[in-house]
Amino acid sequence: MTATGLKINQTYEIEGISASPLMVRMMEMGVMPGKSISLLQKAPFKGPMAFLIEGNILALRIEEADLIQIKGS
Amino acid sequence: MEVSEKKAVKSIAIIGNPNVGKSSIFNQLTGLNQKIGNYPGMTVDKMMGYFQIGNKSFELIDLPGTYSLYPKSEDEIIAQKVLNGIGMEKPDAALVVLDACNLERSLLLGTQVLDLGIPMAFVVNMKDLAEKRGLSIQTFALYKELGVPVVLTDARNNQGLEAVRDLLSNDDFAVGKPFYELGFAELLEEVRLKFSFETPYQAFQQLVFAGYDPMLDQERKQWLEDKARSHGFDSQVQQARETNQRFEKIKSTLSRTQSSGSGKPKKFHATLDKVLMHPVWGYVTFLGIMLLIFQAIFAWAEAPMDLIDGVFAALSGWVSDTLPPGVLTDLLSEGIITGIGGVVIFIPQIALLFGFLAVLEDTGYFSRVVFLMDRLMRPFGLHGKSIVPLISGMACAIPGIMATRNISNTKERLITILVTPWMSCSARLPVYIILIGLTVPDEAWMGINLQAFALLVMYLIGAAFTLLGAFALKFVLKSQEKSFLMTELPIYRMPRWQTVLLTMFNKSKIFVLEAGKVILAISIVLWVLASYGPSGEMEAIEAEEKAMLENVVGEQKFELTNEFASRKLEASYIGILGKAIEPAIRPLGYDWKIGIALLTSFAAREVFVATVATIYSVGENVEDELTIREKLDKQVHADTGEKVFTRATGFSLMVFYALAMQCMSTVAVVYRETKSWKWPVLQTIGMTIVAYLGALITYQIWS
Repeated sequence: MTATGLKINQTYEIEGISASPLMVRMMEMGVMPGKSISLLQKAPFKGPMAFLIEGNILALRIEEADLIQIKGS
Repeated sequence: MEVSEKKAVKSIAIIGNPNVGKSSIFNQLTGLNQKIGNYPGMTVDKMMGYFQIGNKSFELIDLPGTYSLYPKSEDEIIAQKVLNGIGMEKPDAALVVLDACNLERSLLLGTQVLDLGIPMAFVVNMKDLAEKRGLSIQTFALYKELGVPVVLTDARNNQGLEAVRDLLSNDDFAVGKPFYELGFAELLEEVRLKFSFETPYQAFQQLVFAGYDPMLDQERKQWLEDKARSHGFDSQVQQARETNQRFEKIKSTLSRTQSSGSGKPKKFHATLDKVLMHPVWGYVTFLGIMLLIFQAIFAWAEAPMDLIDGVFAALSGWVSDTLPPGVLTDLLSEGIITGIGGVVIFIPQIALLFGFLAVLEDTGYFSRVVFLMDRLMRPFGLHGKSIVPLISGMACAIPGIMATRNISNTKERLITILVTPWMSCSARLPVYIILIGLTVPDEAWMGINLQAFALLVMYLIGAAFTLLGAFALKFVLKSQEKSFLMTELPIYRMPRWQTVLLTMFNKSKIFVLEAGKVILAISIVLWVLASYGPSGEMEAIEAEEKAMLENVVGEQKFELTNEFASRKLEASYIGILGKAIEPAIRPLGYDWKIGIALLTSFAAREVFVATVATIYSVGENVEDELTIREKLDKQVHADTGEKVFTRATGFSLMVFYALAMQCMSTVAVVYRETKSWKWPVLQTIGMTIVAYLGALITYQIWS
């Protein structure tokens, strides 16, 4: 599963980030394997998603959220 | 002399993550003593500030907020160049601002700067928030681990800044212990020697940045690429490896230097987000806030704008009355003073809009708007961040275009800049009102006032062309850059009024000093063209006017002056130009008089009304728009005897003003924001062609 499939307000763990030019950018913003992640909000019409990652809220488009692999599913 | 002066001022670069309070510290230290400059070849502004501690002088360079020193946008390229002194003077030291609540993440950038080998110090900001979250940071332990001084601050509340000042004045900066273990020893040594760097990490950075630096010459770029290839150095892989290893080492360092609490934001923020980011209430709130801002801009900007208008008119009158009559006096009173007035008049709108935007940004609300609007803007090749420039465009395109700064994707920013002038700005309103009054009956149809409906249609035309234009440009403009959205939504905070006021001041200053030059130049050219004509014709008219004026009194005198003003404008260069373009604008339903108004109103759309009043000898500065309307209604074509301002001509003119550039200040500000003449020129030509075609079609439909 990737971060696009998260249920709202449940806590998951990040397993990894798919290889992409955005990978380093995600990592430097604190999106790293082992971090906890939960989905807070979704903008309508498949707009951006807001995630809580280690105390920080990050808004990502679906394409970017799809790069985040989630553990245990 | 110069050398000793340079030594006397210590230059310090300040760098940190976005939203870390870097600008708070910058503002607290420098106050109003700020200067905006340029980095050669870059569009990002160079922010500098000056201050003294005791008898020591300091120069602070505010580097753009970034999460790392990897090449992603101009921001990082500038940070890398400044910190290594590439193509510019290297600062004496660096002040790296860290987020107390996100030490791990901010130390990624922090340790990168440390490895560059520049003398530095860490400022751990927002200690108040960290304390609330139960985090405690042991600065001394951190100092022992990293080898550079660490200072705790709460810059918003002006706490801990004394310690920063002490650090600066005692020159306590230190070169840290190398943090990251690099591979490729041989390759990095070669690069280090070639570029005469001090540390291997500088060489590593140069390799990573090689493909992105626009100022690097071709020979060196090629050399770096060849070297990287022959050593199997893949920039992407190396960046990922570096990030991973740095984070691992940072984590183990921090486990020894901080006791962690919950690290989670408070419930209050989550509740606020539930409303402000809600699929329905979020948009309702946003719309409400925007309406409020517009209301305020219209209501509050009007009085200072009228005042500025009055003061400059009085000044211009005073100069022409006091100084001996002549060309120079005319140039000063009608060309230069009026021109400067035309620049200053925008300050209230710019300052107000940026004041509001600074509040939205500083409270953290702005990134929520981006979250909400991104999906709606994307089909048009725009970014969530484009919404603010576009909405500002309804008041005035100038602050709107200046507000495109924070759109990081070049293509999305350019599209936003190019289409914002199509939003119906407040300068179009006087043109619409006169023309609607002339051509649309003041009647109700099914309870809707037709004139109000016509005005609404004009606003909709503007918005429709903005989106269509953006949509078309999406396919025309080519870009390798991938569009993405990765925005931090910071916690809500009270706005810092000092930051808000400084933003208002700085944005107004940029506009006056940089765009102002272009506006002044164009308005002087336009004034000369409108005031002078070839071969003594103008003098003949003036002599005739003088002779005739001596024989009349009272009301007649006023009408005679108006008539001669019209004849003078006709005889001027711009009058000749207006006649010259008549064949081209005849299909749009315009005569040469309207042609003259089209030319003079390139200065600003509202000038159309004044010029039309002059050329049809209604008299300049007629406040009463009814008089203008009545007079214009009586105008007939000299050759055919038909009415000039028919419905077809009126509509065609409105469409022309909706779509044409007709604003030299916008041209100037686009030049300033894109740092090239290419885009404003292309934009003006493109908009004029679209406006011409639009007006042509409108005229043909209605005539």
